[in-house]
Amino acid sequence: MLLRAILAGLGIGIGLGMLYLVRRDRLHGSYAIWWVFVSLAVVAFGTWPGLIDWLGIRLGVAYPPILLVVVALLLMLVKMLTGDLDRTRQMRKLRYLAQRMAILEHEVRGERR
Amino acid sequence: MNRIPDTNLPRLAIVLPAYNEANNLGPVLARLRAATSAEAIVVDDHSDDETAAVARAAGATVLSMPFRFGAWTATQTGLRYAYRHGYDLVVTMDADGQHDPAQIDTIIAPILDGQAEVVIGACVARASRLRRFAWRYLRLLSGLEIADLTSGFRAYSRRATAVAASWAATSFDYQDLGLLLLMRRKRLRVIERDVTMAPRLDGKSRVFSSWFAVAHYMAFSSILGASKRGRYAERVER
Repeated sequence: MLLRAILAGLGIGIGLGMLYLVRRDRLHGSYAIWWVFVSLAVVAFGTWPGLIDWLGIRLGVAYPPILLVVVALLLMLVKMLTGDLDRTRQMRKLRYLAQRMAILEHEVRGERR
Repeated sequence: MNRIPDTNLPRLAIVLPAYNEANNLGPVLARLRAATSAEAIVVDDHSDDETAAVARAAGATVLSMPFRFGAWTATQTGLRYAYRHGYDLVVTMDADGQHDPAQIDTIIAPILDGQAEVVIGACVARASRLRRFAWRYLRLLSGLEIADLTSGFRAYSRRATAVAASWAATSFDYQDLGLLLLMRRKRLRVIERDVTMAPRLDGKSRVFSSWFAVAHYMAFSSILGASKRGRYAERVER
């Protein structure tokens, strides 16, 4: 019972933390959607651990608790990959902007021979 | 030394990426001035020293990067500038004195003759045994038949400059494998011409500054070579 309360509290805490970060403009809205989803999952599976048994049996998993671990790991991998894709896009844009800035700065100064 | 004719040729720009090259740049630009009146574009990669001031004092066009991005991003800035300002030919060369300005005509001649869109000034003799092994490995992996993969002494036609300055080339970290594979994908002919190269005038290499930098280069180039090995293979002739 204590464990359920802790997990539910953790989920609610993560969810509220995400809302706080969005409110303070530290986290962009689309990223917050992911983390609010994570906190909802923590609340749901922490408060009702039987959910995972119910889901595992329906999916034919012999040991249902491992389903949660596997799905969580897969989602983490997806999240890391999309994060790196996003960083690559940002890096490209940053390089492009820096190049444009160097060229325009030179043209504004009128230094061209 | 043959001074490159000024008026009868298409407009030529020389791009020199530079990071902390204040000691080398003066003599390099002086030798460049003696060889050609082409516009020298020095791209200062956020140096800590007086690189930009030395370049300006020598009469070069100076583009200053707001942060340090590395040699390729600096080079691409110069290529973008040259393309934007209508240059027909662009030569890239190191600011450390390794490349001889008197040999610019050797690498631009095949472009003017319509033989190629990109010409690499190749100097295989300068490479250590380890570097030659690395080149052979990368050639095998990428399918490129280019002897000197890392030479920064290159000439680009206007078409090739457009490709090198494109968005697709923005994510590369080096001016070699990725760019050459992109040229092959765009079906632009790349050839090599033998040139001589001197040791650096002062200091050590900025690109291969440590074994970690070499390992990063090899890992990055291996992934690029393997992933972009395309079906548009075209023989590169010497």
